[in-house]
Amino acid sequence: MIQRNRAPLTQQIDKIDFICPKEIWINPHVKFLWMEQVPNQTSRIDLYFDAGLRKDRNIVASICSALLLSGTNQKTSTQIHSQLDELGSYFDIGLSHEGILISVFALKTNLLESVEILYDAIQNVIFPEKEINEMINERREKHKINEKKVSFLSQRKFQEKIFYDTPYSELTNLKDYDQISRNDLINFHKQNIKKGLYKIALVGSLEEKEINSLIHLFKGNCVKKKLTYFSDFSNQPGVFTVPMDSALQSALRVGKTMFNKSHTDFYDFSILNTVLGDYFGSRLMKNIREDKGYTYGIGSALVETGASGYFIIGSEVGIEHIQPTLTEIKKEMDLLCEKEMGANELDIVKNYLFGQMLKSADGPYAMMDLFLSVDAYMLNIDFYNHYITRIHEITPEDLRNMANKYLKWDSMSVVHTI
Amino acid sequence: MVDFDRYQLNNGLTIILHHDSTTPMVVVNVLYDVGARDEQDQKTGFAHLFEHLMFGGSINIPEFDTELQKAGGESNAFTSNDLTNYYDIIPAQNIETALWLESDRMLSLAFTEKSFEVQRNVVIEEFKQRYLNQPYGDVWLHLRPLAYENHPYKWATIGKDISHIENAKMEDVKSFFKTFYTPANAILCISGNFNKHSIRGQVENYFGDIPGNPKPNRPDFIEPQQEKYKSKDIYSDVPAGAFYYAFKMGSRKSKEYYFGDLMSDAIGKENTSLLNIKLKKELELVSEINAFITGSIDCGLFIISGKITKGKGFEELDKQLWKILDEIKISGVGDQKLNALKNKIQTAKAFQEQGLLNRSINLSYFELLGDAEDINKENARYKEIKNNDLSLFAKKLFVKSNCSLLKVHQYDSEK
Repeated sequence: MIQRNRAPLTQQIDKIDFICPKEIWINPHVKFLWMEQVPNQTSRIDLYFDAGLRKDRNIVASICSALLLSGTNQKTSTQIHSQLDELGSYFDIGLSHEGILISVFALKTNLLESVEILYDAIQNVIFPEKEINEMINERREKHKINEKKVSFLSQRKFQEKIFYDTPYSELTNLKDYDQISRNDLINFHKQNIKKGLYKIALVGSLEEKEINSLIHLFKGNCVKKKLTYFSDFSNQPGVFTVPMDSALQSALRVGKTMFNKSHTDFYDFSILNTVLGDYFGSRLMKNIREDKGYTYGIGSALVETGASGYFIIGSEVGIEHIQPTLTEIKKEMDLLCEKEMGANELDIVKNYLFGQMLKSADGPYAMMDLFLSVDAYMLNIDFYNHYITRIHEITPEDLRNMANKYLKWDSMSVVHTI
Repeated sequence: MVDFDRYQLNNGLTIILHHDSTTPMVVVNVLYDVGARDEQDQKTGFAHLFEHLMFGGSINIPEFDTELQKAGGESNAFTSNDLTNYYDIIPAQNIETALWLESDRMLSLAFTEKSFEVQRNVVIEEFKQRYLNQPYGDVWLHLRPLAYENHPYKWATIGKDISHIENAKMEDVKSFFKTFYTPANAILCISGNFNKHSIRGQVENYFGDIPGNPKPNRPDFIEPQQEKYKSKDIYSDVPAGAFYYAFKMGSRKSKEYYFGDLMSDAIGKENTSLLNIKLKKELELVSEINAFITGSIDCGLFIISGKITKGKGFEELDKQLWKILDEIKISGVGDQKLNALKNKIQTAKAFQEQGLLNRSINLSYFELLGDAEDINKENARYKEIKNNDLSLFAKKLFVKSNCSLLKVHQYDSEK
């Protein structure tokens, strides 16, 4: 008979085998990463361009990235998309302050041909006027819809305060959609896409000669110098509100300037962040959702940028719960500063983190993503082995020290809609 | 190809075992054959509220998530009109923890007043966040009762009205559990790197002694054939007018599901779809347009939705839309388009099959539909479809008397 009131024995994870992709250097600054052991027919390629929002006005970078497949002298937008469709391929274009990431997903037998079509399209795009107008109209309409969402309004205000007084605090406004020309796009493309490829990552068991064809294809468009990112951020502390009529809920954001994986406190602060708000059993979830029922969800995260990062807590709560929620968030931060957490709670967090780590190393795609997430900061896969060691070693005292160093309420930018 | 073993315990619980030695993880997935469709007309939103309570402690274990996290695992769940699905993802060596947790909450919940009170509030906040406090967030609250006459699909999973959740009573929840959360009404799928030799014994240990009430009878809700065109206008503080055409179609198990899936991709997914090219690019009547199917197990809906371009009207859109739909009835979507879509589905399925969680949920879902083995027949079902099938399907589907139209007007422009 099993004893239902007693938990089964568990085993802790002590070691994970991380696999690195092969590195092929195209020039001294650009490498082609290749994860070749994939036990099925799928493949994915990621192309990183140094063409982020920081390179121009937001609107220029964002419309340019959205129109990369809008047509060349030889093909219309519809023809390009149809060719990719016929190969059964999917693509995705992402944009951040630091860059544009284009990913292609295809069966491995179709990947090379798909990339050739897509790459020709993005390198030789001519930005037809009609496509530009269509995209601007579409984005303008989306923007108007977003302005009715409390989460959008709070996030914008938060961005202003977290990147205070730097170019990263620039927001896109409705009038910006009227202030963009075809020439802006052509110039942005020429300066940042034509010679802006800075990393390629391929997952898929392709043939060696296909890899050579890809490298040959990319060679002429690679960056020739080391990339630089803005790092001198300092958030503006205080409480800031955004008016929003007749909303049932308010969106809250609380946070401050922090750092990325290259910082010595990264491990300890990440673990502290998990305790506070980054898993279902976190203090914020337990208190504000599971005890008080103020919200459907609340969470915290450490968000990284090219040379910096920030800490953020986010939630949407009923209008009547705004002040009580802020009070409870402050209380949880103060508590982490004042009182060492119990061994039991820390034990749960440690085991949860080991499980997460094991899961995030499951399979070639996950493994590539883990690698990319350290490679972005010039670190290698040892980062994760050290992290595992640090999770084993960290004490309640270490975490209290971390809280006292970084989780002071007065240092936070607090934003909510009213 | 997804391989699996399948058997039943004496209490009626269906077990699916799918072994994969390439992963260090295990997924324990429990699908209960209960959804919003099983609720009473005046007590809607219960299946979903109940999903929340399933994390509020079971008869022998006060904190579900804490125990799972201690073992390195995580969990979540979702509810639809048709089903409620729970999953735990956990390192393979700690599989027993997940079996212990899932079996205990199948045995009985703790039903504490505290958990009930809090989760009711959480769900009310969820109702506001997802349905009431978003532009266009409430359209499904209007569209379902417009499209369905009789079938309980006429209310949304979150519930008809927030007051149904506010007025929920503990006794309602208890009787819901007793009726629907029985072994015979559940499918347990375990996938990943479990020990092949000990797994059946482990399952028997934890689930074997749960009392086996019979599978609840589900009344047959006959949704009458729609006979006339229906429409509804709502006015809201939105930046653009929006439209939702809902056409009634066949069940998830019928061929119409596959026709509808391909047809919706062909006309309303991505840049190259027919409606995007015609209505957005050429005629500039809409700023966005999409088509998709709900895929409900009984009678499903085929939806065409979008937003009107500033300065254009619903009437012009309606005229042009029907013109295109009428053309599709004659010529289908074309062989070239159809082939491209089949290729895309093949790629998408290959990527989906990579994920252990996806495989686990899908095996359970196909078993619910009738046979888990069907997971391996999907590609073939799409491959055999011809352009002629789609034009015939369009003839049946795109008929005014089979259509319900919801229009969302802007407050401002109507003043």
